[in-house]
Formats: sequence, C-alpha cells, structure tokens
Amino acid sequence: MSLLLMKAMVLIMPCSLLDQVAMAQDGELQISFTHSANGEPIVFRDSTYQNAFGENYNIYKLKYYIGQIKVEGLDQPINALPYYLINAAGTNEINLKLPPGKYKGISFLLGIDSVSNCSGAQSGALDALNDMFWTWNSGYVFFKLEGRSSSSSADLQRIEHHIGGYKAGNNVARIIRLHVDGDSSVEISNQKITRLTISLNLDRYWDAVNPIRIAEIPVCMQPGLLAQKMAANFEALFTLNVVP
Amino acid sequence: MQSLTRNEQDQPEPLKLEIPMGWPKPEKNLFEKNQLTEQGFQLGKKLFYDARLSKNGEISCASCHQQFAGFVTFDHDLSHGVNDGFTTRNAPALVNLAWMQEMHWDGAINHLEVQPLAPLTAPNEMGENLDSVMLKLKKDPEYRRMFKNAFGNAGISSQGMLKALAQFTGSLISANSKYDKMMRGELPFTEYEKRGYALFKANCSGCHREPLFTDNSFRNNGLPLNRFKDIGRQQISNNPDDSLKFKVPGLRNVQLTYPYMHDGSIYSLFQVIDHYRNGIHTEQATLDSSLRNRISMSNKEKNDLVYFLYTLTDSSFLKNPRFGPGELKPAKAEHHLP
Repeated sequence: MSLLLMKAMVLIMPCSLLDQVAMAQDGELQISFTHSANGEPIVFRDSTYQNAFGENYNIYKLKYYIGQIKVEGLDQPINALPYYLINAAGTNEINLKLPPGKYKGISFLLGIDSVSNCSGAQSGALDALNDMFWTWNSGYVFFKLEGRSSSSSADLQRIEHHIGGYKAGNNVARIIRLHVDGDSSVEISNQKITRLTISLNLDRYWDAVNPIRIAEIPVCMQPGLLAQKMAANFEALFTLNVVP
Repeated sequence: MQSLTRNEQDQPEPLKLEIPMGWPKPEKNLFEKNQLTEQGFQLGKKLFYDARLSKNGEISCASCHQQFAGFVTFDHDLSHGVNDGFTTRNAPALVNLAWMQEMHWDGAINHLEVQPLAPLTAPNEMGENLDSVMLKLKKDPEYRRMFKNAFGNAGISSQGMLKALAQFTGSLISANSKYDKMMRGELPFTEYEKRGYALFKANCSGCHREPLFTDNSFRNNGLPLNRFKDIGRQQISNNPDDSLKFKVPGLRNVQLTYPYMHDGSIYSLFQVIDHYRNGIHTEQATLDSSLRNRISMSNKEKNDLVYFLYTLTDSSFLKNPRFGPGELKPAKAEHHLP
C-alpha cells in the first residue's frame, strides 16, 4: 500500500477509528509526586523543619489540586480526567497515554478552574468529602498546608494555610510550567513506560517570591489578598525530573 | 423481554419543573446536570426532614425551615442549632430557589447543590461532618433503596445526597397567592390592596422586583451594625464597598416569615415600613442610593401597603402535602391494644 493511499485512508476514517489508531500507538507516561522539606522527604507530625526565617514547624497535612496537564508541543490536555487531588501523605501516581515524541516539558494548573468551582455537588477528586471545599463560602481550597509551629500565635500554635479563590481579582489558580534540564527531553515511545517525578520542595513555599513568616501569617482561611500573596510562591515549589 | 420491561420500570421517572406563566427562566445550571425525577425529589424530601443528618440527631433542615411559615423558622429572629447553639442570622425562606444564583444573606453559596454543606457542618447549626452523615445513611436500608432508585447503582454518595436535596428545595415554588390569582385575572384586589399595590410599585419594586419580589442583588438598607458585627457581603467579597450589604429577600409569604431582616431585628411588617420611613441610618457610606431620602408614606398608606403584602401569602404552597413531611408512620404496628 502506498503512503499516499494510507494517508487518504486516515482522512476518511471515522473519528472513533482514528482514536483507536492513536491509542494503539500511544506511549505511556507515569508521573509520580514527591515532597520534601530541608532536603528530606516529608515526615508528618514527628519531624521538625525550619524555614528561611529560622521558624521551626511540623507538618500535619499537605494536599493540593492539579489538573489540565499538558505536555509542551501538544496543544490539547492529554487526559480527559481534569483534576487530581495530591495528598503528600500518600503515594501519588498519574498515568497518561500520549503520542510518541520528544517533549521539553510539562505544565499543569495548580488549583481548580472557575467553572468547576461553581458546578454544584461533584464526585471523585472534587467530592466535598475530600475536605477541600469551603462549606461557608463556596469554592475549593486549592492548596492546604496544616501543622504546628512555636512561632504561631494562633490557637494551639497552628499553621492553617487554606489557599483558594476562583473569582476575578481573587483567583489563585496558577499554571505551573516545568522543563527538563538543558539538552535532555522527555522521550515517549510506544511499548515503553516513561517515568517522571514532580518534586515539591516546601522550603521555597516560605520565601520564593513573597516572604511568608509563620509569626505573621499563621492562618489563611479565605480568598483575598493574602491568598494571592501566598500563591505567588507556588510556581517555584516544583521541579521536574526524568527517572532514568 | 420481561426483564427489559422491568428494567424500564426501575428507571427514575423524569419530572419537569413547572415554570409559572410570565416568570423568567430558572437558573440554567440547576437541573442541567441533575435530572429532576420523582425518585430524586422523594429522596431529597426524606433527607430534608431527617434529623439524623445532625450531630445529635435532633436538628433537621426542616427544624429551621418550616413549611407552614414559608420555610423560615416561625417567630424566631435566630434559629437553634445543636447543643443549644444559636445562629447569627435569620433563617431565609426556601422558596423559588431555582431563580436564585447565590444563596445566603451574603451570597456566599454559589450553587444550590452545595448549600446544605454549610448548615450541615456549622457547629451552631447541625454540627455534623460529611463522613459521619455518609456512614449513617449507608447503614439504613431505606436510604440504600432510595439512592439506588434515584441514581442507579452508584450507591450512597455525598454528590447524590446534595443533588437530591437540590431537587427537593429547587422544586419549592410559590406562585399561587392572591397576587398571582389577581395577575392571572382570576380574582380582583380589594380597594385597599389596589392602593397598596400602587404604593408597592412606586416605592418598593425597584429592589423587590416582581414576580420573585427580589432582584437578587445585595444592598445596604440602613440597619445599624448589629451585635455580631455582621458586615454582610463584604465578608465574602473583601470589598469595603460591600459593607453592610445583604441580599434583597423575596417577599413571597412575607406575612408569615416574621421577624424580618438578616438578623431578625424587626418584628412586624408595620415596623419594617417604619424603618424605611424614619429608621434608616442615612449616615452610612454604603447605604443604597434609593434610600438616601428614606421613604415618605402616611399611616393610612402604610396600612394599604401591608394589605397588599398579605396578598403574597400562598396557602396552597404552605399546605401542599407534597412539600410536607408526609404521614408519620406508627412506631410499632404490633403494639395494638387488645
């Protein structure tokens, strides 16, 4: 069969058949998430960490939403399922199918788009049971950090950072763009699983762009200027690595 | 073939929301992804009247939203929650919610389906958490059956619970008062009511827009900052221009929804009108521009206006058994007297 004829056949194939062809040729990408502070994997409750301002803290919860995953070089989001809730206290793996090729990077939304914030009761990652929905002021908490710190003036020396907000002017959803180093690339080929690690370094949370001192900001509980100030540090939290 | 027929009978029966003649279209995202069905409505009604949804099993949605009072807490400025707690605002009427985009006095709630999460989890209302509610529902075979009938094999879920509640509360439509009958040409108004209606249109309908008797906006109507330091809409928007603004309430069944205002601080309709005549705090920066000069009205006109407001009482809604708790089942059938 000539190449020309094959191209013509592809053109007249019904969409569903095209999808099947694409599926058959797709490679697999496995993304896992790791979380560290002070250069070590986060241990909840028991380990004490220190931020850039010399404030000690313990971590009780670290959870956040990501979605709209894209790879650089492909326009469309590469997975139908829009949102994942990453809980640093567990293992988090996302498996994606995508066409073979060499990609320079990956991007995702840290947070939830505004329409999904106003769509009523939802299921899966967006189920209100996940304790990431503000019941008294509708909307999702995009990023939740809870813990304790001797620098906190709040009740029980809490750190309670619930960062969210989807309305114009208060929107803290951030697109995070991550690239692999230098000349290397993320290579996807069929019949092979390519593994990536997205690493969150909590050290950058406190001072990447805006200084977040626990003594000054032990609690952030609603959308607004404070949440925006904290969200400015989001992009610097993450790095991307290809697992050899 | 027989099993096919049975499967068809097991399908939930779709319902159509009846839109009263001349009314605007309801919120389009309300029942688009939540098909109104008889089974969903009945499940929502059961949940609405079930006190097990609260922490101590004593408070249901209906405790504070009583049908005979237009779904407010009758004769209460504030409502009671678990552990003798009090709310800090007057329970709003659950009526014509399908035409409301934002709920609560401050508009904090952006969709009817997520509204129940607020009273369910508030420590001064039902004081419960969602995980615990799910456990209680899953233990009950009646709920297992009703969720299956309404939503198929998905089982009991928070999403199903919230969608069912929205099917019930979103169906609470009041559109058969004397006012509606007069508008439809079925009944005439008395002379008092006619004069009151004219006064209403001249002085009130700018905010209390017909036929819902609200424009769903947030406005400061000149009440003082109350003892809870409740700044209203500003708490949600973070905008100082929204200080002391609260949602304009619809006036359907207003005769029965006393006391009035976001904090229940005004007891009677006569006193409400007195507030607009001479009680407005005109020094407030965010006071609604339409109230800067207060409202001039004679005592006789005040009476006429109240007569008109009484025409918004819809007894067919207040007594509709479809919206009520239903018949109470006898506790134990075997305990008959000999």
